[in-house]
Amino acid sequence: MQPEIYPSGTVRALLETDYVTPKTREVLQARLTPGGSQSPRFFDAQALATLRAACARLIPQTDRTQPVDLAGAIDTRLADGKGDGWRYNTMPPDGEAYLLGLRGLDETAQGRFSVKFALLDTGKRDEILTTVQRGEVAGGAWEKLPPGRFFEELLAELTECYYSDPITQEEIGYVGMADAHGWQAIGLNEREPREPEALGETHD
Amino acid sequence: MTNPDMHIENAGLRGSVPDLHGHHVPARRYPLNETVDAVVVGTGAGGAPLMSRLARAGLRVVALEAGRHWAPARDFATDERAQSKLFWNDERLSAGEDPISFGNNNSGTGVGGSTLHYTAYVPRPQPDDFRLCTEFGTGVDWPLQYADLEPYYDELERFLGVSGPSSYPWGPPRPAYPLAPLPLNGAAQLMQRGCEKLGIRTSPAANAALSGSYYQEGVGWRAACTNRGFCQAGCNTGAKASMDVTYVPLGIRAGAEIRAESFATQLELDKAGRVTGVVYVRDGMEYRQGCRAVFLCAGAIETPRLLLLNGLANGSGQVGRNFMAHTGLQIWGQFEEDVRPYKGIPGGLISEDTHRPADADFAGGYLLQSIGVMPVTYASQVVRGRGLWGKALRRHMLGYNHAAGINILGECLPYEGNYMELSDELDARGLPKPRVYFTNGENERRLTAHAESVMREIWGQAGALDVWAYPRNAHTIGTCRMGTDPNNAVVDTDGRSFEVPNLYISDNSTFPSALSANPALTIMALALRTADRFLERARRLEA
Repeated sequence: MQPEIYPSGTVRALLETDYVTPKTREVLQARLTPGGSQSPRFFDAQALATLRAACARLIPQTDRTQPVDLAGAIDTRLADGKGDGWRYNTMPPDGEAYLLGLRGLDETAQGRFSVKFALLDTGKRDEILTTVQRGEVAGGAWEKLPPGRFFEELLAELTECYYSDPITQEEIGYVGMADAHGWQAIGLNEREPREPEALGETHD
Repeated sequence: MTNPDMHIENAGLRGSVPDLHGHHVPARRYPLNETVDAVVVGTGAGGAPLMSRLARAGLRVVALEAGRHWAPARDFATDERAQSKLFWNDERLSAGEDPISFGNNNSGTGVGGSTLHYTAYVPRPQPDDFRLCTEFGTGVDWPLQYADLEPYYDELERFLGVSGPSSYPWGPPRPAYPLAPLPLNGAAQLMQRGCEKLGIRTSPAANAALSGSYYQEGVGWRAACTNRGFCQAGCNTGAKASMDVTYVPLGIRAGAEIRAESFATQLELDKAGRVTGVVYVRDGMEYRQGCRAVFLCAGAIETPRLLLLNGLANGSGQVGRNFMAHTGLQIWGQFEEDVRPYKGIPGGLISEDTHRPADADFAGGYLLQSIGVMPVTYASQVVRGRGLWGKALRRHMLGYNHAAGINILGECLPYEGNYMELSDELDARGLPKPRVYFTNGENERRLTAHAESVMREIWGQAGALDVWAYPRNAHTIGTCRMGTDPNNAVVDTDGRSFEVPNLYISDNSTFPSALSANPALTIMALALRTADRFLERARRLEA
């Protein structure tokens, strides 16, 4: 099945209507407002550069005019000491896990290609990320951190952040936030006028 | 709503609580220096029905709730990230071969507890679920039977306004559900299609969300469900029967006090070993509420944690043991049809044909359920379950509007190696974080393999493309087992501690076995029963 493409601007237009509750509008509009480039509060410049280089491969956004600041969101969460209610017992606390994992990416990059992770081309970064995902790295930071779990946690956090973005939600044709009057057409192939129709299939 | 005094039958109204829309409703407040009849810790499916029952019997009740008292119409956004405020986000450590995820998966906070984000799926367990050991020679029997809970199931379905079929195809005869079934969404229609081709019977499911407006005794009118599909991240219309729009207002009207943002830390005992008060922390300050009895309803992690922290009621050594989590494998697919999985009650359709499969090589069984899903949850499961990233992930997510799932809710046996303990790592409150060990046993693996093959067939027949499995376990069950023998159980069949005579437990921690049905309805039934037994006992002692 070919993935579909949806028109842009749908969610932003709906936010101006009474299909969206005031609380939903408040939350989504705040997320659409660029925060400006703040200096990191949790990571140092080196760790942040490594994180950004990983984010760019895990969730590539080269097609986005307003990319979601995924690394910044993680920095904010860790600086605020927020969590999601659990962590794998085999993992150190979130902040420590991130610092170890990013150090591990750099160590593996140094070991294989003699440069820091952020300086690698996209193919080599993907190669390293794949070996981390498969747990096929060892030594250094990875002695204190299960690589596969680190990869899973990093990827899940980035993904949840990316798909919480209203413009990403336009991209996948999601308008569930426009529910202030509820939904009547809920069966298969049933669509209400405010739900966007796919423009066609992508062939990238 | 015009005359707020109409809401109150008791005097002494010095407090107020928000209603659905954030209007202030006057409520009773008890002074700290008064010894109340009962302190209830937790306001979810266990605490809310219980405190309301006690208050309606004229008892002076204070319920402590760690989370906030929300006004859903005002405070809840249709946005998954914003709604993470409904989850119990204090960190727990997940150990074992199949570590359990907490937070959004199974643990809530706020007045209403986890019912603020439950799916409202309320099938009854079947009578044989309570006799697993008798039937299979493995697992455990309940010291209670279906018949003990049946009148409570009847009462709950009526009070909550459960929507469901007039004639339910499985289990013993029962009254028709008070409201017609909710409409089927895309996933439910697809499951119906696949099951029909395979000769598997289906039915619209029982959901504690209103298919029509409903008058609730002691609460008032509640509006019909608008098919927002957002049950798992908070209902903002009051159509879903979470506790905050049902038993909590009922209890408040009868004079119960809800003390929100109050985290219980200590149980004080006198020399005779009876609880005399509960210490709790609010805004960093410690308070003490004196009481004649305490009811722990904080769920299968926080209830045993509080007992372990206080070194209480654990002569059996069973506090924290027998942790169970339902087998909850999901099968996902994408379809040619437009599904738009964010609309409609998520669990629209059910089949219990797999309750005791003829070809089973395991004890117990499972039910089948269709599932809708919100985009962030779906994306998160795609990456955790399939490991997709980069362009492959973004490409897969372009098919979100065509995604539909089915899942199971299956039996889980208790095992020696599955338990919760206090770790040596402290949380932000300065208390040890709980560590929970969980590994699926051979029975769960066989049951899950059976279910995977059935569900893949259903999805194949329904026309699914790109089918994949997301293994998971759902709900927190066990850890303070109910039983008849003080040597291997924490509480008796009334929920009363064998050791501390005025300490009761009423939540999913007392379940001796998991039951192959979602737990909320049974937690509520046990809560009403515990309240009734407590009141009877008090009357007997007075006489």
